[in-house]
Amino acid sequence: MRKASLSLLALFGIAASIGAQPLVVQSYMSDEAPKNAFAALVAEFQKQNPAIKVTVNTVAHEQFKTQLVNYLTAKDAPDVLTWFAGFRMQQYAMKGLLEPLPESTFPGGSFVKEFPAAFKPAASYNSKIYFMPQSWYWWAVYYNKDVFAQYKLSVPKTWDEFLSVCETLKQNGVAPVSIGAKDTWTAGGWFDYMNVAVNGGTAHQKLTGGTVSYTDPSVLKTFGYIADLAKKGYILENAASYSWQEAVTPLVEGTAGMYLMGQFIMDSVPADKKASIDFFSFPKVGRPDYGVDTPTDGFMIPAKAKNKAAAKKFLAFIATKKAQDMMNVTLGRLSANMTGAIPNAEAERGLAMVKGAAFAAQFYDRDAPEEMAAKGMNAIVDILQAPDSYKDILTALDKERVRIYADLK
Amino acid sequence: MKKSIGAPPWAPWAFLALPLILYAVWVILPICQSLAFAFTKRDSIVYGIQWVGFRNFARLLGDPTFWLAIKNNIIWLALFLLVPIPLGLGVAMLFNNEHRGNKVYKTLFYLPMTLSFAVIGTIWMWIYSPDFGVLNGFLRAIGLEELAKPWLGDKRYMTGALVAVGVWRQVPYVMILYLAGLKGVPAELVEAAMIDGATWGQRLRHIVIPLLAPATVVAMTISIIDSLRAFDIIYVMTNTKARAAEVLASYMYTSAFGYSDFGYGSAIAVVQFLITLAFILVYIGRVLRDETER
Repeated sequence: MRKASLSLLALFGIAASIGAQPLVVQSYMSDEAPKNAFAALVAEFQKQNPAIKVTVNTVAHEQFKTQLVNYLTAKDAPDVLTWFAGFRMQQYAMKGLLEPLPESTFPGGSFVKEFPAAFKPAASYNSKIYFMPQSWYWWAVYYNKDVFAQYKLSVPKTWDEFLSVCETLKQNGVAPVSIGAKDTWTAGGWFDYMNVAVNGGTAHQKLTGGTVSYTDPSVLKTFGYIADLAKKGYILENAASYSWQEAVTPLVEGTAGMYLMGQFIMDSVPADKKASIDFFSFPKVGRPDYGVDTPTDGFMIPAKAKNKAAAKKFLAFIATKKAQDMMNVTLGRLSANMTGAIPNAEAERGLAMVKGAAFAAQFYDRDAPEEMAAKGMNAIVDILQAPDSYKDILTALDKERVRIYADLK
Repeated sequence: MKKSIGAPPWAPWAFLALPLILYAVWVILPICQSLAFAFTKRDSIVYGIQWVGFRNFARLLGDPTFWLAIKNNIIWLALFLLVPIPLGLGVAMLFNNEHRGNKVYKTLFYLPMTLSFAVIGTIWMWIYSPDFGVLNGFLRAIGLEELAKPWLGDKRYMTGALVAVGVWRQVPYVMILYLAGLKGVPAELVEAAMIDGATWGQRLRHIVIPLLAPATVVAMTISIIDSLRAFDIIYVMTNTKARAAEVLASYMYTSAFGYSDFGYGSAIAVVQFLITLAFILVYIGRVLRDETER
């Protein structure tokens, strides 16, 4: 009897130690809405896997970014990290700091069973997958429908039509293009969309990959278009004084007409004005096809993670339709999972726009090294303020390109 | 034979041990570390150190942003010496005479010093706002529409606008130093000069200012150091994107923590450290000379 109770106790002990199998998730979802949605997701995983004890450490977004290298190289690295697809992730895979995800990790048996094949390159490095996509959003030209109706404007499909819309708005005292360039990344959208529209996706990939010069005639042409907008006075006055949210106000109030921005712009539009704001695909500039920016957020496992088996189990759970819906329907984002529910009609149109695109980029600062993108975006803001000297600005920028990409090796 | 009672020669060291160890670990060691990091490649301190000799320093010489930062630091330095010191002295002399409401005004003047840089930066961001800001609103109201600029957006005005905020905070600091200094100016001396017929200007030049020399040295040193380490205001007021307003501290931060180039960031830190050290050594040299003269 006594022996039995002892062995029972031992059994309990083992069960307890299995029960204590820890899984540490380091998360940058510090905003209230995503934080709560993620907590619900973790609770669901916990319910399905009582043997794993999940701990979520939430760190403020900007702090998380500067700390990431520390997380990856720490002796007791977390088991799962939130992060971004594209070069932003690949640079760490390159250094061997990430754990590859074998196809068997994915609930359907392979990446493409769950996610669009187009997502695979940005989630992989050297033909190995390192990234579990969760959600994504699109960038597009957001515009004020009331303003367009007032001046009898229709959505521009080509660059010429776009310029004539700009001219009409300007004549009527409305700033054609709003941009909050104090946050320089807002200029990154212009870089991506303008260059893909002018030179196509393949050329754009080469540029963010560092093998094309910023003084190449094709690139000069791209920046020429941007400089032209500034020269014609189509950009919101004092754009560099505003943060991205501050520049939403003129769009909502109708003192500005259009704003190239990510879908999250709608979070900053007051509820009673949401019906006035809509989006259209970036106008075509002489090419039949078009591209989109679709920044993808998700998860990865550090190579130094302690509990990789549990981490993979967690990521497999994240990949399922159910888990992606729990997060994305709540937040109005699009699921990376192909079968994920589409949260609303707006998302349906966004999805259609993306499906029709010949090329999808992540974003300038996710496709190119951070330093390159940061300096490139500074350069665009400089061009908006001094459009006549855009060639000099690009010559200086190209010197940086040569050094930055040489340093990566 | 003199013998101190019960105090072995190592006693002072025993008391000092803890602070000295803390100082060594948290101040001296990091300084040596970042000096060493300045000779390493990019982010190699994370992945396994690769030494590159003076390459980071050589790159500094050809980096236009580095020279922009140096230029802006010089602007900060010059304005920090030229504006807050005379202004602080003037305000201090004003408050040195007892009159009604003296304490209230003194407190109001000192108030900026008690605010954190983040708060100051946020307040001034609103003051500088191109459309709704108090500054441009005032300029427009008095008919100087053409002087209402996008202060924090335009490359040409960014540094000036930021230094102005730094100066605004520095004046009360200097004021307090001079108020303390003025307490040490004997009233008899000034009165004697008055009896001898010295004008206000003569009294100021030949009595008050010379007697305030120690306070001036401290005020100058603090202003120099504060101008060289300018960072918080720039970081807050430009949404971390200093662009044309880059100074050494902000460029060091962006290089190391924004671009993960710890080697280059450390090299910038070393340059900034050496510049600051030069000023500090001059100051310490002066203090030591004064001490030994006495």
